Amino acid sequence: MIVIDGSQGEGGGQILRTSLALALVTGKRFRIERIRANREKPGLLRQHLTAVLAASEVGGAGVEGAMLGSSELTFVPRSSGRLAGGDYHFSIGTAGSTSLVLQTILPALALAENPSTVTLEGGTHNQHAPPFDFIARAFLPVINRMGAGVTAELERYGFYPAGGGCVRVSVEPAKKLARLELNERGAVRECRARAVVANLERGIAEREIAVVREKLGWSDERLHIEQVREARSPGNYVSLEIESEHVCEVFTGIGARGVMAETVAEAACDGARVYLASEAAVGEHLADQLLLPMALAGGGSFTTNNLSLHATTNIEVIKRFLDIEISVAHVANHQWQVNVG
Amino acid sequence: MSAKKCVVIGLLGPTLDNGKGAARWEKWRPSVALCQHTDLIVARFELLHQPRYTNLAETIEADTNQISPETEVRRHTVEFENAWDLEEVYGALHDFARGYTFNTETEDYFVHITTGTHVAQICLFLLTESRRFPARLIQTSPGARREGEAPGTYEIIDLDLSRYDRLASRFTQEQEAAVSFLKSGIETRNENFNRLIERIEQVAIRSRAPVLLTGATGAGKSRLARRIYELKHREHQVQGAFVEVNCATLRGDAAMSALFGHKKGAFTGAQSDRPGLLKAADKGLLFLDEIGELGVDEQAMLLRVIEEKKFLPLGSDREASSDFQLIAGTNCDLKSNVKEGKFREDLYARINLWTFQLPGLRERVEDIEPNLNYELEGYARREGTHVTFNKEARATFMRFATDSEAHWSGNFRDLNAAVTRMATLAPGGRISLEIVEEEIERLKSAWHTETNGAHSACNHALAQLLDEETLAGLDLYDYLQLESVIKVCRESRTLSEAGRKLFGASRDRRRVTNDADRLRKYLARFGLEWQLVCGASIENARS
Repeated sequence: MIVIDGSQGEGGGQILRTSLALALVTGKRFRIERIRANREKPGLLRQHLTAVLAASEVGGAGVEGAMLGSSELTFVPRSSGRLAGGDYHFSIGTAGSTSLVLQTILPALALAENPSTVTLEGGTHNQHAPPFDFIARAFLPVINRMGAGVTAELERYGFYPAGGGCVRVSVEPAKKLARLELNERGAVRECRARAVVANLERGIAEREIAVVREKLGWSDERLHIEQVREARSPGNYVSLEIESEHVCEVFTGIGARGVMAETVAEAACDGARVYLASEAAVGEHLADQLLLPMALAGGGSFTTNNLSLHATTNIEVIKRFLDIEISVAHVANHQWQVNVG
Repeated sequence: MSAKKCVVIGLLGPTLDNGKGAARWEKWRPSVALCQHTDLIVARFELLHQPRYTNLAETIEADTNQISPETEVRRHTVEFENAWDLEEVYGALHDFARGYTFNTETEDYFVHITTGTHVAQICLFLLTESRRFPARLIQTSPGARREGEAPGTYEIIDLDLSRYDRLASRFTQEQEAAVSFLKSGIETRNENFNRLIERIEQVAIRSRAPVLLTGATGAGKSRLARRIYELKHREHQVQGAFVEVNCATLRGDAAMSALFGHKKGAFTGAQSDRPGLLKAADKGLLFLDEIGELGVDEQAMLLRVIEEKKFLPLGSDREASSDFQLIAGTNCDLKSNVKEGKFREDLYARINLWTFQLPGLRERVEDIEPNLNYELEGYARREGTHVTFNKEARATFMRFATDSEAHWSGNFRDLNAAVTRMATLAPGGRISLEIVEEEIERLKSAWHTETNGAHSACNHALAQLLDEETLAGLDLYDYLQLESVIKVCRESRTLSEAGRKLFGASRDRRRVTNDADRLRKYLARFGLEWQLVCGASIENARS
């Protein structure tokens, strides 16, 4: 039995989700202790419980300790072989992030026997979680280049606090994920900015676009405003997409009550500027996401402009499940080289 | 957190839960917010609302389902017109609670008190406090404005006070203080007696039902009754006076009038209205000592007062009412009195709910010493003289007092008298061996006389009224006269009636015929008053 210390490194929900994802793929059972031990509200919170229950449904797994506030959890996948795949529907309470649940189950479904469909309801553009645009435009294309065929459609936006968003994902599994080298991003081909407002004044989006124009100097034909009607509650975000020869990156600022539009746009711009100023292929968030698929593929490499605590924690957890080398080298200012396998 | 499912029962808040359009999500709505917490999963929400708010309730249900797929919302209409009418709201919520199947084995219940009128909140509180909702309270509040308010915070309040350690120890202290109060602060060691007092404390605080104290003369019934009254008065459970009546001193017509009062002119000599002792005990506590001596007619009247709180004063055509707590005392076996037809069975059944048998001093020898100290302290308080035993004297007295030869037939009254005599005689406040030996002889001889049956009922009556010293100072002439006067008094309903009987022969020959005044003055010579002679005393609690 693999025993994970849930308070190590980043010490939050990421350790749990990475462990669940790896257990589903490898069929290995694990126990996680001291879950979120150093957080203000320690133990399992609602969104973590949702991820656990989704993983146990997908993997037909047995779970002990799956309740609110629990500091220990044992997860026992049904078999060590490939999962069958299937059609799944998950509703996430408190407008929780649909991306985080998808992240937990996607590796296993991408390597399953059969195709799957997953409908996720909840938040699509949350703070502190990968927004849908990032998943669809940055993350999935990389996964697909490794051999899987995953598409995601945004059926309805979901913002905090109302949620009610809907994402449909279809997964065409790969027999095996292929190695991928992402050390160069190549020339920047296209830049696009979108400011989205739902049930809010257009003026907010206009102010955000103005910030992007000023900070990044992007021309008007690259700047778009989108007014969304079908969302259930007010919501706003700015998404900056940078498509290069070898990779596409997305930087996002999520609007929140009481936060000025300019501040929201600046957050996105800052991420993009640091990335563009470096020579790295991927940004901090995509780097977090690439470690697990590359480890499952048995190898790969990438460069990033920042290696977060999430990433290093992921590396620790991956090494507990898979017998694989992961090396990290700081090669230059804002430039890290990561080699897997 | 427990593995039980969390179930919330709450009222829809027509104001707080209200909101229109997409902007309603910007607003803090308590019922929805309660289902938005990351560390709380509401498995079921029993949403109560008035029929006129059905549309709003449906919106809340849909929004809750969207935000919290784990929650099943069940809507219930409750019928009350005016949400500020306590009777109506309480009734409707009480109906709901009665009709609801609680499964506390598998579900944890929370009553949401943030929504609804203040009256509704009070009703929910009362229903939870009385365990009609076997639940804890949950209160929600909005978060800071910049955090977008939702979901804010929640607070769980458990009304089961015994769960709070510090409060539990406080209650224990309070109870111990009350028990100690009932024991007049005497640190009694007899286990049976201590248990008995603890039980009396529980009954005294929780119940207004009649209490029956049994036990031999001098076992402390009267003192205990008074302490119970003072305890209840301190706890604001009685407001009225403490009325003590010795039924043995009530005879004939006088008894009826003394207890139930009379109207002016009800009989010869009834010159003014007299409310009677039962009326005097209204909202207070009535201690009927020697209840076995109460006449049959009085028993019937008393029963009615206990059951209906109503009675008819002599000569009155209008009922009077009095609501008092009754403590009865007796030293005879009431059950056999019932068998012999001397005591009404129904009245006995009424007063026999809480019966406490006070043990005599001989059954509590380990309590003699603490009571001895208590009596010495009492003497010091009364007389302002501090009195102590010398070591040998104390040992001798205790040896005698706890010996099986010591009858203590008058129980604590005997002990009190013995201490008073020894203390009075002690030179320089020091009780010597000689004084103790003298007292032992005195007690022995008194108990010897008693067992030889030389104790007349009337002698007993005078002994009760007058203290030892006054009694000893009476000439036989005065003694015999007073004895007879008291007998006449006790057979009369009023002071005037007694006066007429006593001075009747010379009445026609006198210019001044204020017989009542003459009698009052006669009694006063012995320090006696009409009320006292007739066995009643009324006292208001000292605050």
